[in-house]
Amino acid sequence: MGYFSDGMRQAADLLVHMDDATMSAIEATLVSTSWALAVAALLGLPLGFVLGYANFPGKRAIRLVSDTLLAFPTVLIGLLVYVFITARGPLGEFGLLFTLPGMVIGQTILALPIIVSWTAQAVENLDPRCRQTLLTLGAGPAQTVLLTLREIRYDLAMVCVQAFGRVVTEVGVAMMLGGNIRYSTRTMTTAISLETSKGEFAQGIALGLVLLLIAFVVNLLVTWCKHRGKTA
Amino acid sequence: MSALFEAHDLAKSYGGVLALFLPEFSVDQGECVALTGRNGSGKSTLLRILAFLEKPDSGTLVYHAKGSEPRREVTLLLQDPYLLKCSVFDNVTLGLRLRGDRTHLEERYCQAMAEAGFANPMALASRTQSMLSGGERQRVALAARLALSPRVLLLDEATAHVDAASEKIIYASVKSCLARGVTVVCATHDRAIFDFLDAREVVLRPRD
Repeated sequence: MGYFSDGMRQAADLLVHMDDATMSAIEATLVSTSWALAVAALLGLPLGFVLGYANFPGKRAIRLVSDTLLAFPTVLIGLLVYVFITARGPLGEFGLLFTLPGMVIGQTILALPIIVSWTAQAVENLDPRCRQTLLTLGAGPAQTVLLTLREIRYDLAMVCVQAFGRVVTEVGVAMMLGGNIRYSTRTMTTAISLETSKGEFAQGIALGLVLLLIAFVVNLLVTWCKHRGKTA
Repeated sequence: MSALFEAHDLAKSYGGVLALFLPEFSVDQGECVALTGRNGSGKSTLLRILAFLEKPDSGTLVYHAKGSEPRREVTLLLQDPYLLKCSVFDNVTLGLRLRGDRTHLEERYCQAMAEAGFANPMALASRTQSMLSGGERQRVALAARLALSPRVLLLDEATAHVDAASEKIIYASVKSCLARGVTVVCATHDRAIFDFLDAREVVLRPRD
């Protein structure tokens, strides 16, 4: 176990002295994840709301597809996006492969079904008396939609936080579309994978600790959202 | 008195099951009508139709509206009301704000809350629904409807889940509404209530 305790000691050293490679991996992770979450939320929240709120033909089929995509393997997403953005692919001319924007595309696809399905679920779980109450107080259709969104605001925040948690810890998309390039597209998870395979545990452990800290903050936020949703 | 609601052969079904059939029904302006009948006789369905929340499958319902938005003249208080996840003040003034009416909100909040039997409305203003008792929640929901100065107040067994003291306050408040000319239609199983409100009884019967 000597190598583990040595690794822990060196990891603490890397974090305290803000080692360049370690900080770069943390930055790449947070930047790509934040962009992916922003795009997925922009697309997914309205889609999920419509899916949970409105009745239209094909709604159940769309819901089934969205729910199925929750289990989309990250390497498969990586593969599909790779085919599109590789030099010979239809989007090859944009030079997205092995770049952060390329990773963002894949991570957005990963986050989107989570946001769509869970937003739809949050809308469906809302007490039906809410809509009746709004209508009986004189709300018009647009006001009813806006106030319904306000009623589930903590659930929506929780959905985004959970999607962030899923994306920040994924490795398949980042590895296949980012290429694990040092000081560029190397994220915390791909760095851990690489350093471990090299037998260099220090940076892996340091990044693992940061990931654990992020997971802790994410769960803290989820708990807060749940609590606020219940007590508001 | 002139009729406010007039209905003929009103029918409503859910999933093929007939929930309401009412050959004739009318409510006069300023009148109090008590809907009675067994569970499943269609009392709540009729109230939702009168509140314009649902449309009947067949038959005609005429509401002689005063303004251009009939739905805003009628309001419904449910048996177990829903309060939004915001303060009591925001809940009570929500209907006014939805109408774009933001004048003297505090004053109108206090007046509606006082009508619903709250001695010190401002003490509750910033509380959320989770901090209220069942009786308080029902009276806050009532205050939210009273703040709108409705022309018609519909009550769906509004005191079924509250204690005797809250029930007394709620019906005293409804009686004040009647004195001001508000039309009231309430669903209830309690004969003492419609005696107290001097209501005309309409018995609904399930159609087999």
